[in-house]
Amino acid sequence: MTAMTTIERPVELKGTSIRSARAIERRRLLLWLVPPLAWFTVFMLIPYATLLYTSLGHVDDMRFIPGLSLDNFVRVFTVDPYLSVILKSARIGLMTAVFSSIVAYPLAFYLAFHVRTQRLKFLIYLLVIVPWWASYLVKAYAWKTILGSGGILNVGMQNLGLVHEPVRLFLYNEFSVDMTLTYIFTPFAVLSIYAQLERVPTSLIEAARNLGADGWMIFRRIILPISVPGVVAGAIITFSLAFGDFVAPVLVGGPDSVMISNVVINLLGVAFDWPMAAAIGLVIITLGLLLISASGWLEEKTQTRF
Amino acid sequence: MDCVTRRLHRLVTAAVVGSFAFSSTVMAGGQLTVLCWEGYADKSFVEPFEAESGCKVNAVYVGTNDEIVSKIMSGSGTADLISPSNDTTMRLVSADAVSPIDESKVPNMANFLPQFERPAWDVKDGKLWGVPYGWGVIRVIADPAVVDPKTDTLGFLWDAKYAGKLSVWDDIETVYTASRYLGFKNTYDLSDEQLEQVKAKLIAMKPNIRKYWFTTGEMGTLMASGEAVGGNSWESTIVQLRADGKKVADLMPKEGRGGWSDSWMIVKGAESNPCVYPFLDYVSSAKAQALAHKVTGFGYPNVKMVDELDEKTRAAYTELGMTDPATLTNVDWWQPVKRRAKYLEIWNQVKAASK
Repeated sequence: MTAMTTIERPVELKGTSIRSARAIERRRLLLWLVPPLAWFTVFMLIPYATLLYTSLGHVDDMRFIPGLSLDNFVRVFTVDPYLSVILKSARIGLMTAVFSSIVAYPLAFYLAFHVRTQRLKFLIYLLVIVPWWASYLVKAYAWKTILGSGGILNVGMQNLGLVHEPVRLFLYNEFSVDMTLTYIFTPFAVLSIYAQLERVPTSLIEAARNLGADGWMIFRRIILPISVPGVVAGAIITFSLAFGDFVAPVLVGGPDSVMISNVVINLLGVAFDWPMAAAIGLVIITLGLLLISASGWLEEKTQTRF
Repeated sequence: MDCVTRRLHRLVTAAVVGSFAFSSTVMAGGQLTVLCWEGYADKSFVEPFEAESGCKVNAVYVGTNDEIVSKIMSGSGTADLISPSNDTTMRLVSADAVSPIDESKVPNMANFLPQFERPAWDVKDGKLWGVPYGWGVIRVIADPAVVDPKTDTLGFLWDAKYAGKLSVWDDIETVYTASRYLGFKNTYDLSDEQLEQVKAKLIAMKPNIRKYWFTTGEMGTLMASGEAVGGNSWESTIVQLRADGKKVADLMPKEGRGGWSDSWMIVKGAESNPCVYPFLDYVSSAKAQALAHKVTGFGYPNVKMVDELDEKTRAAYTELGMTDPATLTNVDWWQPVKRRAKYLEIWNQVKAASK
C-alpha cells in the first residue's frame, strides 16, 4: 500500500501539475485580459449603451424622460437642418482629405526618396511635427490674421499693387474653413503616406531602371500603386478629424459654415436636448464605422504584396 | 418612485443636509455654497465678506442656466444661493425650487434702480423671489462713419447697403431680434407660423452677415478691423472699442432691445442658513457691486454703485446710460422660452441655410 503510493505518486503529481499549470496559465490569461476588457467596457460599451439609452428618450421641461422611441433618429433624417449639416461636414471633411493628400504627397515623396542624409530627414520630419506642439486654437486663430481684411495676405497684395481694396473672399467662408483644417491636419497625411512610401523596396526601382524605365514610369507603375493604401489611410484620418471639428467653423467660418459638432454642442448646452444630441452622435458613429470598414476593404484591396 | 420611498429619500437627504448644516454652523460663521457665473463670487469682493461675516463662501461656477436648473432639480448640487438669468428665474419659482426673499433683510435693495426694485421676472403672487444682480442690454451698435448714428430702427440690419458687413450674435437672442423687428409682441412664445416668418427674415439678413460672432471680444475685433460695421453686442464691446479710441454708435431702435438680468435666489430650505441674508445684502451694496463691475463689466442695480467707481470706469459706465432709467424704458427683458429647443432648431436652420 505504502509502496504503491510511493510509486504512483510522482505520476499522479505530474498529471496534476500539468493540469494545474494549464489552469494557472488560463487564470493568468484571464488576468491579462482583464485590463483590455475593463477598458473596453468602461470606455466603449458603457458610453455607447448610455448614448443609445439617452437617444431613445426625450426631454420634457429640463427633465430627461426615458423611453423607447426612434423619433429622434427619424428627426435626424427628416427635419432640417440635421442631415444637410451632416452632409456639409462630410463635404468639408472630404475637401480637407483631398487637399491634405495633395499637399502631403510631394513632401512625403521627397522625404522618402530624395533626402539622403539622416540628419536632414530628421529635420524635415521635425518640421512636419513641430506645429503640433502649438495649440490647435492658436493655429486656427493665426489664419484669421493671415486671411483677414487687414491680414498679411491682403496687406501684401495691396502693397504690391495687385488689388486696391482688401479682398474679403479669403476669410469667413467655407474656403477658409477648408484651408485651416487642411493646414492643421496635413501632418497626419504626410506621416501616413511617408510610412507607406518607405516600404517601396529600392531593389524594385533599381530593377525597373535597369530595364530602361524612366522616372515618370517608375512613379506611375511602381511607387504610385504601392502608396495608395497610405494615401487612403491618411485621407481617412484627415477626413475624420475635419468632419468632427467645431473650432474652425467658429473662428474662421462664415455665416453658413455650421458643422455637425457645433449643432451637437448647441443641443447639449442651449437646448438641453441630450436625446437628440445622442441620436446625432449615434448616426455619425454608424456612418464612421461604415466608412472605416469601406476604407479597410479598400486598403486591403490596394495593398501590394512583395 | 412610490410615495414612501420618495418620502424616505427626502428624509435621508434632509438628515444628510441637516448634519452638514449643523456641522457648519458649529464652525465660526458657517458656510455658504453659491452656484453662479464666473465672476459672481470673485475673490476681490468675496474675501472682504468672509472676513466681515465669518462665513466661508464656496463658489461652484456654471456655464449655462440649464446647468443651474438641472443641478437644483436633480438635487445633485446642494447649493444655498444661485444666480440664474431672467429667462430662468420664473421656471425655478414655478417648480417650487426656491424660497421667497424677505426684503427687510436686504436693506441695500432700497438703493436699486426703480426697474430692479420688483422686476416682473422675480415677482409672483405678490412675493419677491430673487435679488436682482448683474444686468445688461443687448446693444445695437454701428460704426457712425458708415451707418447714420441717428438710425432708430432695426431695419438697417436688412439694408442691402451693408452686404457682408454686419455681424450679429450666434445666439437665439438674434431670433428674438428678428421677432421684434417683425413686430411680434410675444417674442418669447412664438407660434410655428411666426417662427417660420422669423426664420425667413433671418435668412434674408444673411447676405449682410460677415460672420455670426461668438464672444463679445470677437465682435469688438470685427468692428475694430472694419470686417463689420454694425450688428448687436453686449456693453463690453462698446467699452472695449471706446477704450481703443474707436467711435461706435449705440443705436436706440424703436422696436426695442433685449435685456438680461441675473438674480440671486435662495434654494428652498437654505433660508435658514445664517450666511444667506448677510451675503445677499453684502452683494447688493454699492461697494461690492463696484468691485464686481471691475471684474465683469456688467451693469448692477445699485444706483450708488457709480460713486464707488474710478473716474474712467464711471465715465464709460454713464456714457452707456447704465445709470439712466430712460435707457431701460424700451427693453424687452428676456423671459422663459418654453419651446427653446424649437427656437434653437430654427436658429440652426438659419445658420445652415446658404445665403
